[in-house]
Amino acid sequence: MPPPENGVALVTGGSRGIGAAIATRLAEDGYKVVTLGRTSGDVQADIGDAASVQAAFDTVRKDHGPICVLVNNAGERRDGLTIRMSAEDWEAVVNTNLNGAFHCTRRALDDMLKARWGRIVNVSSVVALHANPGQSNYGAAKAGMLSLTRTVAREMARKGITCNAVTPGVIETDMTTDVVDKLVAGVPAGRVGQPEEVAHAVSFLCSEGAAYVNGATLAVDGAMAA
Amino acid sequence: MAVTRDEVLEKIRDELESIKVPNAREATPDNTWSDLDVDSLDLVELVKALEDEFAITISDDDLKPIESVGAAIDLTMRLVEEGAPA
Repeated sequence: MPPPENGVALVTGGSRGIGAAIATRLAEDGYKVVTLGRTSGDVQADIGDAASVQAAFDTVRKDHGPICVLVNNAGERRDGLTIRMSAEDWEAVVNTNLNGAFHCTRRALDDMLKARWGRIVNVSSVVALHANPGQSNYGAAKAGMLSLTRTVAREMARKGITCNAVTPGVIETDMTTDVVDKLVAGVPAGRVGQPEEVAHAVSFLCSEGAAYVNGATLAVDGAMAA
Repeated sequence: MAVTRDEVLEKIRDELESIKVPNAREATPDNTWSDLDVDSLDLVELVKALEDEFAITISDDDLKPIESVGAAIDLTMRLVEEGAPA
């Protein structure tokens, strides 16, 4: 069964970095792409806030059509050793990365269930699998996304909806410029990844051919977590 | 909006059919969800269909005690009546 005609691919955090590459790639794949950002993007929302997400999704539905693909990509980093991490930094990162993915997933499932077709891809991180000192908040949130991924996959599997995750490693974006040099030494591939390489994996998971790939975590990390 | 019990029953049968419940067209008010092999996710779809068709909102609290087709019809009729202008 093909994706519903007129269906929208919504990419959170889709105006820069990995999200922008995913938005570009899904548009090339033929999807009507809408990007959602806190202040940028086609539609604005604070994804950590359930009411804000609901309002934004209502706008997308009204202006562009039902959501058939959701890429939970929006993320935030506030690094620091756990012993010195403020509760505020913990909560903000978990709220944006994990709670935000939940709020968006919950809203997108309404349309997907109606269409009996849907693709959700959660952009997690290599740090969900391979701990990185200084990122307990980010790693916990990204690991939480993997459990969310598998649970939603099991819940929705017989309704034609898949939910998968990608775990990018060290990807060259403006969110990682400060740490790339330090981290590249730990990448077996010996180089950083490009946003387009993550977008390629997301494109596959959103494709019709990936209908039986469900609840999977696809590493895009140059073998970093292998 | 005046709605009859038969109209609600027909809508429930339509939705059960579209969620591929066997013998959906023969469902009666006496049938429980368990008789029909309707699980919690199927019920979510059924509730959405009833909400859209009859312009009502079914809360989780309203839904909890609903275990049969007949109870779903009663609930829908009540919510339609409550929502109708006096």
